[in-house]
Amino acid sequence: MSDSDLPVVLIVEDEPDVAETYKLWLQQEYEVRMAQNGDEGLEQLDADVDVVLLDRMMPGLSGDEVLERIRERKLGCRVAMVTAVEPDFDILEMGFDAYLSKPIRSEQLHETVDNLLDRSEYDSLLQEYYALVEKQATLEATKSSAELAESDQYDELTQRVAEMRDDLSETLGGIEDDSDFIATLRGLSDDEDN
Amino acid sequence: MYDLTSVLEFDALSEVRPGSSILISGPAMSGKERLAYDILADGLRKDDGAVVVTTGDGAGSVVEEFRSLVPDLDDSQLGVIDCRGEGGTDEEAIGNAHAHHVSSPGDLTGIGIGITKALEGLHNAGNEQGRLALVSLSTMLTYTDKKTVFKFCHVLSSRLDSAGYIGVFTIDSGAHDDQTLQVIKQAFDGMIDVRDAEGGGREARVLGLAGEPTDWQDI
Repeated sequence: MSDSDLPVVLIVEDEPDVAETYKLWLQQEYEVRMAQNGDEGLEQLDADVDVVLLDRMMPGLSGDEVLERIRERKLGCRVAMVTAVEPDFDILEMGFDAYLSKPIRSEQLHETVDNLLDRSEYDSLLQEYYALVEKQATLEATKSSAELAESDQYDELTQRVAEMRDDLSETLGGIEDDSDFIATLRGLSDDEDN
Repeated sequence: MYDLTSVLEFDALSEVRPGSSILISGPAMSGKERLAYDILADGLRKDDGAVVVTTGDGAGSVVEEFRSLVPDLDDSQLGVIDCRGEGGTDEEAIGNAHAHHVSSPGDLTGIGIGITKALEGLHNAGNEQGRLALVSLSTMLTYTDKKTVFKFCHVLSSRLDSAGYIGVFTIDSGAHDDQTLQVIKQAFDGMIDVRDAEGGGREARVLGLAGEPTDWQDI
């Protein structure tokens, strides 16, 4: 259970020194959980976890296997894979949301976690935006333009749709990065499966 | 700014902001796809890059089509994402054009990867701006629901915005209920409506890009 309102980051890393370093960097801004291997990582994982930092090369369950189980559980958390090599497009298809090449600097780690939290924010805003658009569309499809012009409810809805559209473009300021783009699209397909 | 007036003579299309996405809506056989291709061909003549996401024509015939529309076409300005779920390998080169095959029109991640590769290829070939056409959303809607298609369009528009591209997307207005059309429209900056004119021929109007909706004009 989460004791605070801070976003929750789960570090799955078999080298204690490395894990401890990440924790030191992150603990001011996030609630940090630690796991020394894949099995422990899966145990620590629940709906409160926002971001998982997942080491790819671990004894026992590999990072790839853990990722697969996380996706099967459809928890909606974001996963940053920590790898020793720079992944190619093919690896983007694997289903993680970001990758970090070792060794990692503090700044880079913060940036990645922030970015993943922003993207979750974008997804939930997009979800909310869609719900409003759908209501508006239903009214437009069933009422005459005269009826719509007189409806305060429709007026209010139209305004909220416009506000949300601005919020959405501000939240992400555009999807700049290729991995952002693909990860966001993959998120849409996952939503559909739910 | 993109000037589309040599394809369709509307003032509202004379200065289309980079990052804009436009829905081309009309009944079956009203020339929507032709219009989308013409907008890309016009760009190719002006040295813009072109990306085609197709659910109907194969990658080979798309490239052929553009070779006939733009006689001195430089293939390397063109990328095609073929989503029919046919055709062998993921990637193939047709001349210098880059083609990418995706398993189905519902495979949004695959389409995204294809678009990413195409944009990267065009960027590396020196194309600073460009135009993307997706033909058609109606086919995608038979593979996935309107909510997912709406979100896909929103995310893709955002990607095109950061690339400085414009996007044109076709939809068959007769194939979906009013509510679906109203939802999908909201994902776009503007719309070109196409219809058959009463005395034969075709008419179009532009909504939402600049100022008030235009009147219907022969095209």
